[in-house]
Amino acid sequence: MSTPKNVSVLQRNNVKILGNGTQPMLFAHGYGCDQHMWRFVYPEFEKDYKVILFDHVGAGHSDHNSYSREKYDELLGYAEDIIDICEELDLKDVILVAHSVSCMIAAIATSLKPSRFSKLIMIGPSARYINDENYVGGFNREDIDDLMEALDSNYLGWSANMAPAIMGNPDRPELGEELSNSFCRTNPEIAKHFAKVTFMSDNRKDLKKVSVPTLVLQCSQDIIAPVEVGRYVHENLQNSEFQILNATGHCPNLSAPEETTLAIKKYLASTN
Amino acid sequence: MSIADKENNPRGKIIETAEELYENAPCGYVSFLSDGTIYNINSTLLSWLNFSKEEVIYLKRIPDLFKIGGQIFFETHFFPLIRMQGFIQEINFDIVRKDRSFFPGLINVKEISAKGKNPLTYRATIFDITDRKKYEKELIAAKKKAEEDSNTKAEFLSTISHEIRTPLHAILGIGNLLNKTHLNDDQKEYARILLHSSENLLELVNNLLDLSKIEAQKVKLEKRTFNLSNMVEMLQQTFKTKAEEKDISLQVTLGENVPQELSGDPVKLSQILTNLIGNAIKFTKKGSVKLIVENLETLKTKSLLRFKILDTGIGIPKNKLNAIFQEFSQASYDINMEYGGTGLGLTISQKLLQLHKSEMKVQSSKGKGSEFSFDIWYKVIKNHAPPKDKSISIEDRKMFKSSNVLIVDDNPTNIYITEQFLNEWKLKNESAESGLQAIEMIKQKHFDLVLLDLHMPRMNGYKTAKKIRALKLEKPPVIIALSASDRGEINYKLRKAGMSDHVSKPFKPEKLLETLVYYLQNPAHQKIKKSSKMDVAEKEEKKNKKEIASNKKEQKLKEDQKPSFDVSKFVKMANSNSLYLDKFIKSTLDAFILYEHEFLDAIKANSEEMIEDLIHKSTMSIFYIQANNLKEMMEETKSTIAKKGNKPGPLQKKIERMCRRI
Repeated sequence: MSTPKNVSVLQRNNVKILGNGTQPMLFAHGYGCDQHMWRFVYPEFEKDYKVILFDHVGAGHSDHNSYSREKYDELLGYAEDIIDICEELDLKDVILVAHSVSCMIAAIATSLKPSRFSKLIMIGPSARYINDENYVGGFNREDIDDLMEALDSNYLGWSANMAPAIMGNPDRPELGEELSNSFCRTNPEIAKHFAKVTFMSDNRKDLKKVSVPTLVLQCSQDIIAPVEVGRYVHENLQNSEFQILNATGHCPNLSAPEETTLAIKKYLASTN
Repeated sequence: MSIADKENNPRGKIIETAEELYENAPCGYVSFLSDGTIYNINSTLLSWLNFSKEEVIYLKRIPDLFKIGGQIFFETHFFPLIRMQGFIQEINFDIVRKDRSFFPGLINVKEISAKGKNPLTYRATIFDITDRKKYEKELIAAKKKAEEDSNTKAEFLSTISHEIRTPLHAILGIGNLLNKTHLNDDQKEYARILLHSSENLLELVNNLLDLSKIEAQKVKLEKRTFNLSNMVEMLQQTFKTKAEEKDISLQVTLGENVPQELSGDPVKLSQILTNLIGNAIKFTKKGSVKLIVENLETLKTKSLLRFKILDTGIGIPKNKLNAIFQEFSQASYDINMEYGGTGLGLTISQKLLQLHKSEMKVQSSKGKGSEFSFDIWYKVIKNHAPPKDKSISIEDRKMFKSSNVLIVDDNPTNIYITEQFLNEWKLKNESAESGLQAIEMIKQKHFDLVLLDLHMPRMNGYKTAKKIRALKLEKPPVIIALSASDRGEINYKLRKAGMSDHVSKPFKPEKLLETLVYYLQNPAHQKIKKSSKMDVAEKEEKKNKKEIASNKKEQKLKEDQKPSFDVSKFVKMANSNSLYLDKFIKSTLDAFILYEHEFLDAIKANSEEMIEDLIHKSTMSIFYIQANNLKEMMEETKSTIAKKGNKPGPLQKKIERMCRRI
């Protein structure tokens, strides 16, 4: 594939392995950030599970040279990476915890390799963000263009590219002092492409192919994935439970980590 | 509560309360809860927004002040960031007023930890940056334009170099062939000059392409196993004649503890060394040129090697030492006049070294000579199997005799040149001038290997390869791409289209031979490659694509206009759906009615080209309905066209007969 041969899967996706347990719990972050998204959640599982964190290619400290517009022009490219990680580490019986767009990436990955996964937790999933005839996704195409503008006008993306130049150490970026907003910096071009791939995707047909038991966690007020959208995902999965959290916003893993963690633990206990 | 009560102020008492400072500060203040609900906001911000306090407090959330894109940005970027680092600085949002108009704002936020009964909250300042935004927009536009201009130029450079390489391929190829014929002394000299000049030109064009690729960051380091002493020996052989011509001694020294088998990018290393040795010889009139390789440091699996190239040439003045690494710059104008060259070699070498996280160092004094050096870490390979001998062995010759190669290229000159080499190696071959023709030939007969040009009109190499793969032949041919493009850029596409390797044009005969021997010896190689770990994902991708494609199947069939009249096939394709069956029949009928008109038009216009195009166009339709008579007629017509000097009469009759059949 387009991955340079000298970069291993673990380097490519900046894979981190933690925890004391044996059953693997793989956390897939969503659009806009990196594995730091799970910082309040994963410690709760370290005692009983083997916790695996990673960055999608293009995010966080993944190998940005491995990014290819062709491969990542559909969510399938990201799903392949998840499978790669599972195969590289020979993970079995995996509990895959996915947030935001990673829910659909996880849906594709688990339907391609159902035997590797035992459970799937979807946090804030949406099978399609853009409204379509009778389907309510919550957004129009123009809204997505507006997002592109917001991305364009922000230093958050810029700083990734420009920080070394600003610091005056283009050859040794590690010598530069940290700029503010240092988390979740992404290459602006990749961020925009990922945004397009995310928000333009339509994964409604992929839901039916998921055979792995799934918990759908839905926030109370989430403009990215409104309740109807979450319910749609739940109703179209073969084997799922649906739970609405009190948490608001799109990132309960950050805004209400206790509630999120508890919901996951309860589900895992009840289905074991 | 008074914080400024200056009794002694000569102008009188100034009273400023904290509340007034808050409410009427020259910036907006807003405080919100962790779910975004606004619980406090100052008058300044309210006046910018045109809201009253009652309309906002506990009723609006902070993202409500943003446009929709900003809201998504808030949820996906802003909020996670704030939770992670406890503050956020200088984020730009368009802030929406009550009347839905908006202004650009710059936001700083601080997280205030929960304390006692107070929950976790956030405090934010908002600045109106309307003016700044205008400047910024201009700057961004200027930056974008500069980048675009630069890209356009790079693209132009790349295109033009590309365009030059194609005819150059012909010149070099024919020159090589010419050189092998019986020539008198004058002619031999002419042919030598022709080859020499075209090789120089090719080198220049390659340099330009290299540079534009490096600039566009399209060049990446490959990792391959190679033998350092072989490479160094090759270099010595390459430059031997040149050095002898100038009566300069050329010495190569490989330090004792320098490892032989390395893993790294041999092509880039050889390019750098070739450039430096070439330069050294060029700028040295008498004395010597030396290449010295030393092992500076060895760790467990890798070694740091130093490469030094020393000469006793004209040297470089101190004040020019930096300039020599810049594009198109040589130490002086006179140098260019006397020694020629483009001044690109060192720039490219320096940039290639940067890819290796290394840099070129130079020491020189005018008139005494120069020393160029650089250090690179290489992985050391132990227990490496010796590489295969690449010359044509007797076995290879036997194998060549029983193999059959198809050359596909829309350019007859290119076909001719490739043919000449294959004939010389006694390798059976046939040719096709289009993808369609190639597919037809492959259907009729087995080929072991296909040399496929990527850039062809109508059906390009990728499509052709995909269609060949789609034939699902029992013994599929190995497909090797042949094109003027660089492999790195097209690697992914090649593999996706089912091609095994790539030889770039103009090709060196040895390179083509090497590739042919390799894949003809081991036609299963492609399969071996496929099952390797790297390709598992690719396979899965294909599988999934198939699934996705099945949804779009009906639509695609309509687009391609290749449904069949054959009911059995039809039913299969329509998945027993009578609606689709009906649609297929209708669209096929439509297509043939259209073809009929177009054929008749083509006869009227008396245009062989149009007829040929039409035959291409209708081939698939005919194939699908398995109208063998019609197919034969088409082929007859095609060969009639191909015979030159044909009178229009019989051709017209044939086509009219064909149309009646349709």
